[in-house]
Amino acid sequence: MTKEKKVSITIDNRKVEAKAKTTILQAARDNNIDIPSLCALEHLPSYGACRLCVVEVDGIRGFPTSCTTPVEDGMVIRTDTAEVRTLRQEVLKLLLSEHPASCLFCEEQTDCKNFQGTIRKVGVTTGCRYCPNDDMCELQEVTKKVGLTETSYPVYYRNFPVEKEDPFYDRDYNLCLLCGRCVRVCNDVRLNGTLSFKQRGKMTTIGPAFGRSHLEAGCEFCGACVAVCPTGALSAKASKWSGKPDEVVESTCPYCPIGCTLDLKVKAGEVVDVSADYDSPTEHGLICVKGRFAIPEYVLSPDRLARPTILKPEGYDFLPWEEALDEAAAKLKAAGPKNTFVVVSPQLSNEDLFVAQRFAREVIGTEAILSSVIFDLGSDLRSFVDLVVMSEQIDTIEETKGILTIGLDTTYGFTPLGIAVKKAAKKGAILVTVSEHECNLDMLSEEAFQSDAAKWPEFMDGIMKSMSGNGTRKSKAAAPLFKKGDRNVVIIGPDAVFSGKRKEIFERVLAMRDNLGWKVIVCHPYTNLMGMLAMGALPGLKPGGLKSDGVLKLKDPAGVVDLKQNRKVGYFIGEAPSPEMPKCEYLIYENALPAPSGFDPNLILPAGLFTESPGTTISSEGKILTFNRASAPFAESKPDWWIISGIAARMKKGALKYSSLAAIQSEIKKSIPGFSGKERRVPRKKVVMEGKAAAAGNPFGPCRDAAAPAAFRGVPLHDHVAGMKAIEERRHK
Amino acid sequence: MREYGLLGSNILDSDFSFEIKIKEGAGAFVCGEETALIGSIEGKRGMPRSRPPFPAIAGLFGSPTIINNVETLGTLPNILRNGPDWYTRFGKEGNRGTKTFSLVGKIRRPGLIEVQLGTTLREIIFDIGGGVQKPFKAIQTGGPSGGCLSEEFLDLTVDYESLASAGSIMGSGGLIVMDEDTCIVDLAKYFLDFTQKESCGKCVPCRVGTKHILEILQRITEGEGSPDDLLALRTLGDTIKKGALCGLGQTAPNPVLTTLRYFRNEYLEHIKDHTCRATVCKSLIEYRVIKEKCTGCQSCVRVCPTGAITGPRSEPHNLDASKCIKCRSCYEICRYDAIAGDAIVIRTAERQS
Repeated sequence: MTKEKKVSITIDNRKVEAKAKTTILQAARDNNIDIPSLCALEHLPSYGACRLCVVEVDGIRGFPTSCTTPVEDGMVIRTDTAEVRTLRQEVLKLLLSEHPASCLFCEEQTDCKNFQGTIRKVGVTTGCRYCPNDDMCELQEVTKKVGLTETSYPVYYRNFPVEKEDPFYDRDYNLCLLCGRCVRVCNDVRLNGTLSFKQRGKMTTIGPAFGRSHLEAGCEFCGACVAVCPTGALSAKASKWSGKPDEVVESTCPYCPIGCTLDLKVKAGEVVDVSADYDSPTEHGLICVKGRFAIPEYVLSPDRLARPTILKPEGYDFLPWEEALDEAAAKLKAAGPKNTFVVVSPQLSNEDLFVAQRFAREVIGTEAILSSVIFDLGSDLRSFVDLVVMSEQIDTIEETKGILTIGLDTTYGFTPLGIAVKKAAKKGAILVTVSEHECNLDMLSEEAFQSDAAKWPEFMDGIMKSMSGNGTRKSKAAAPLFKKGDRNVVIIGPDAVFSGKRKEIFERVLAMRDNLGWKVIVCHPYTNLMGMLAMGALPGLKPGGLKSDGVLKLKDPAGVVDLKQNRKVGYFIGEAPSPEMPKCEYLIYENALPAPSGFDPNLILPAGLFTESPGTTISSEGKILTFNRASAPFAESKPDWWIISGIAARMKKGALKYSSLAAIQSEIKKSIPGFSGKERRVPRKKVVMEGKAAAAGNPFGPCRDAAAPAAFRGVPLHDHVAGMKAIEERRHK
Repeated sequence: MREYGLLGSNILDSDFSFEIKIKEGAGAFVCGEETALIGSIEGKRGMPRSRPPFPAIAGLFGSPTIINNVETLGTLPNILRNGPDWYTRFGKEGNRGTKTFSLVGKIRRPGLIEVQLGTTLREIIFDIGGGVQKPFKAIQTGGPSGGCLSEEFLDLTVDYESLASAGSIMGSGGLIVMDEDTCIVDLAKYFLDFTQKESCGKCVPCRVGTKHILEILQRITEGEGSPDDLLALRTLGDTIKKGALCGLGQTAPNPVLTTLRYFRNEYLEHIKDHTCRATVCKSLIEYRVIKEKCTGCQSCVRVCPTGAITGPRSEPHNLDASKCIKCRSCYEICRYDAIAGDAIVIRTAERQS
């Protein structure tokens, strides 16, 4: 590693070292010299609008802003002269005259809080105590730092209407300082370009151009703007009035296999808000709307299942856990292994999956460990798993020369990947998008093909032919774009995975990968599919399915168990029944939220969610990631593994005696490769089909041929997260 | 030029290629600032950015960029044709060459002029411009963000340093001549209104500071000012000059600061006596009919848009102050009785009389 270049500068008579090319502000902060600033923020390009970080530099006229001026060797900087202090105070006075901040200079300060029962949630914010951002406001901090105790200018309330129409966050531009952080994060970090400055002079404000709503303007609702806003101008609807969080717990997003790191903000024992982690190596903080906004409302849904419930002839009735477990065990035992099936969710944690498959195999004695993956993908499961297991890392995208996306739109999901594609395309990579409708990546693409999914395989044939030299007429335009030998990546989106032509598409992607050296990335909703493979939570697949040599031997589930056979008892763990799944006379439903209407479970076992019961998951890159506990279990809900072990103990003496998560984890460590090493990564090298494939075609009737709405544990997010409704509506427009 | 092979690739079969591309802006004042200009050409919002890096290092699309005014480029052919010695004959030490000005305002011969640097303002106004009809009061140099100079500066030579020392700038080369009909506070307000509207809104001192200055000036012209306002104007002006990001902000307070310096009395008159000697500030003036002089010609009755003036022919008219919108029409038209003078007068400081 080359040593970073350093320069030596003098700040306030102190000789310090600074990284070359860094700004004065950064250099000062690195050396614990504090310069007040509002518009500068790490990860954002410098801007120089707030003028609070002014300093004096020998040889530079006037008062340069330290956030924009790069350091030079031998620079002499003074950050705290009388003149600089006065200028800062004057500028801050001006700033505060645009911001309703009467509380800052109020003699009573926080005394009014005692009488605040109802006045806080006023429609118009006129001071700090009426602002959702009170106590978290950077302007309050800066005012303290600059030492301003009074102001001489009148406050101009700009009288902008508070914007509440869009989902997820409200905007009160009367509080806006125009620091431009939101505009910069939207344009320069998220590469989305929804926000910009509008008007000029005192009319300057922020928003999408041409007066469109954020939804219309293509906002991803990633909430990055809300996170960077130093004031209460932008605030998340759900967490607006919850105040300063008590603690922040780092965890993993459970909604898709990318596995973004999330910082869960906990207030009074509840997860109220989520923020991104810009230092996370996988997604670099570029989380999507689901991770950012769909978690608190889901885990705190008023519909959460609170207590074990049983269906009796006269209706549902609560019962204690002991009785509920007895009931489940009795029903499962009575039905016997041939007449029972277990359904697991691909969104369970590794630990839950491990216990669930042991339960099915060792306690019940069946291989019928079913899951939505099997029913959604049918006979294409093998090629799908092959592509998924061998999926490349997101970082691959940045270094590629050619990118082909098929059925991918990253507006409301897979955003880290979408942004990597945009970055690569901006850097000069050739991007070709194939989709049914306009997609968010079209803008930067060399060619954007919009056609019915039925034509996609043909189009891919054209690309392959052109790469081997015989271009067909049909795809002539795209043909010469990709060259053999270049680093190319093909990204398959959910619209391709759930299209009627997926069999043909998978075949072609496999051919592109195996014959032409394309890298492949698959975007799919099965969060812990890798965990299912590693834990052996599929029929005919034993734990440790991903062997230490990286070879996965997969059997066709249809060849192992009869997938169409209706049975007496069905045990759904974190999954909701769907019409494709076999029917059962007695339905045990273990989940956190109620099943969709039309299915009436006979026994309901309330399960904890990832914010309450910790565990691990495996990302599509094979990394083992952790869910950390952020809050206490909801009501009487219990972790999935606890419920399963409880039933097991009642069915078979001494079976699955797990008393803690650690016990499961140590067992996993012993039996599953990848978990014991330091790298925390499961091996993956090759997928081979073992045994006979079931009859060609899909044995379950029509397979799923449209991407379903975003769901978690079988429950659509939009049923419980208000804003997701608007998102789903827009997606289907 | 392209037709003749003087522009494009391989000019006159040489290996020298040169392209000219004219890009129209949307007309924002701030886009005269070089970094905002670059942003505007790049298709972004015309907003200045901080330097360094200077455009000469990283400018348009990140490439080194030289920015010149059309005027600069316009002088090049002459210099190339006649040589540098010829050019340095003009001007004075340190300020060589000529400069074009747009000479406008209350002057007999307005127009575009080109003078040697070092010419005095007196020469420009009274020789070239032909003088002023009414007594000369002030001259605004350098456009909306320049400074306003009083009579005592008439012998100031026009060059970069002298103008700067007087608190003004060469700026865009605008020279606006004013006579005693111009109210100096109103003038400052007018320019601040312009710069305030044209501020891009990026940096705080310019966006908010100009707004406050304008508010204070507004108050003063309405007779609501207080002596403290002058200090506030001064502080605001200094803050904006020191704190603003770009040239627009740094020069925007110039009209206020220079008028405060050279016409302080007029500000004080507005504040203390509630008079506007140029009879411009509407809140401080009142229109009246002088009964002794009025011939009852009814010219004013015809032009009054609100019907504030009434009265039969040949009898002194009445002016209803509550209907009067102070549009000045009656004052302008009342010229009938040349001997008796204007029958309609504008009085100021009515509050005190």
